[in-house]
Amino acid sequence: MDISYLSLLLAALLLSIPVMVFYQLKLEMIRNTLLSFVRMGIQLAVIGLVLQFIFQQSNLWLTLLWMMVMLSSAIWTLYKRLKIKAGILLPIMITALGTTSLVVMPWIVILVIKPQPLFAPEYLIPIYGMVLGNSMNSSALALERFESGLADNWKAYYSRIIMGANLLEASIKPFRQAIKTSLMPQLLTIATIGVVSLPGMMTGQILGGASPLVAIKYQLMIMISIFSGVCLTDYLAIRLYIAKRFDSYYLPLEIRNQKGAK
Amino acid sequence: MIEIELQKLFYQDRELLQAQKLQLTKGDKILLMGSTGSGKTSLLKTLNLRNFSYVGRISYNGKELRSYKAEELRSRIMEVMQEPWLGEGSIREILLEPFGYHVHKRKKAFDPNTYETERKALFVAFRLAESLLEMKAEQLSGGEKQRIALIGALLLKPEVLLLDEISSALDQDTSKLIADYLLYHFSGTILAISHDPLWQGMWQQKWELVDKAIVVHQSQGGR
Repeated sequence: MDISYLSLLLAALLLSIPVMVFYQLKLEMIRNTLLSFVRMGIQLAVIGLVLQFIFQQSNLWLTLLWMMVMLSSAIWTLYKRLKIKAGILLPIMITALGTTSLVVMPWIVILVIKPQPLFAPEYLIPIYGMVLGNSMNSSALALERFESGLADNWKAYYSRIIMGANLLEASIKPFRQAIKTSLMPQLLTIATIGVVSLPGMMTGQILGGASPLVAIKYQLMIMISIFSGVCLTDYLAIRLYIAKRFDSYYLPLEIRNQKGAK
Repeated sequence: MIEIELQKLFYQDRELLQAQKLQLTKGDKILLMGSTGSGKTSLLKTLNLRNFSYVGRISYNGKELRSYKAEELRSRIMEVMQEPWLGEGSIREILLEPFGYHVHKRKKAFDPNTYETERKALFVAFRLAESLLEMKAEQLSGGEKQRIALIGALLLKPEVLLLDEISSALDQDTSKLIADYLLYHFSGTILAISHDPLWQGMWQQKWELVDKAIVVHQSQGGR
């Protein structure tokens, strides 16, 4: 069932509820709220047009190009968020996210879905978006946790290296902790899926007319891909980060971006 | 076996030591003295690749220090900290952890036939109760932690020990026991920092850091 533009405007009238709440509480959020929704509308319209064009063309190179745009924007987001020197962070994230993309995507597309043609953008792009988005958020969390794990207890780190520990041996405790903390939210989502909320992908498919059974199979596949992708990205990101975080005598280096220095 | 030829030792932009030639021979037991901030710890840490704020050349067994792999050198020249961080788990596990490091595994440092005997002997020598083994690090006193850290290092049989104020939390009796053990039962080389007057009376070879130079004292008799 398509939604007409007029109906969409009627949906927007629902926003009168938050507007009234803000007005009553004298919360200065009305302007911001409306602006955010307008911005979202414009962004979605642009992306919608771009995606529609890419889907129509169904061209391998165009699809790959768009996936590269997605990857670059994920890396850029991480760079802005983590405030780690570009020379350190960029190679780490390009390798970690790149490897995840090259392992998970071909696996799913070639072995599992086998769409016609193989590079059909209507499959590749949404799935990649989900794997990439989750990997990006999770690896940011993992790196932050690893760094704070180190910083909370430098003495533990030094106590190990002075007894002959190598880099991995000296940082294994924060490493374990970071992987655990970054994967916990994922596991939590997986454990509760379907009971309370139907995930976005499933909702979309069911609304689009697919049978719930098909939607569930897709959802299972996507959750497996996301979790495996996230785990691989987090692991690689920290492994590579450790190698750049210390000098060849395992002493810590300056890694903060000057602009972001605290 | 350790040859130190320094043109300069510094900390940030402060000069700690001017041109200096020093040598440690196998089996030497040297006490490093000097007022706070004179650079004792900086000098000590140059020897296990923890400090590179110097101009000059340091070699170990004829080989430039920097050319060693860090874990290899640190397994041979081992530092013991004043306030060690021991780790989670029981003291038994804490003492065993470093034996799992690659560098010690490669050298087969862990000998199941002798480990317990050696450990027990050290516990007796340092007056530590066997019941400590099942305790966690946070249940130990500062003095007990210092002794456990030293035992942890001794069990790994390093060639050189770098000791940074390791008797600061010990009473005089225990402090003497430790010094006795190190001077008469440990066959390797030691460079120790200490403010403990008791230690200063016992150690025959002393390096004193004054006015950006090291004065070597060689006392008569004993060691």
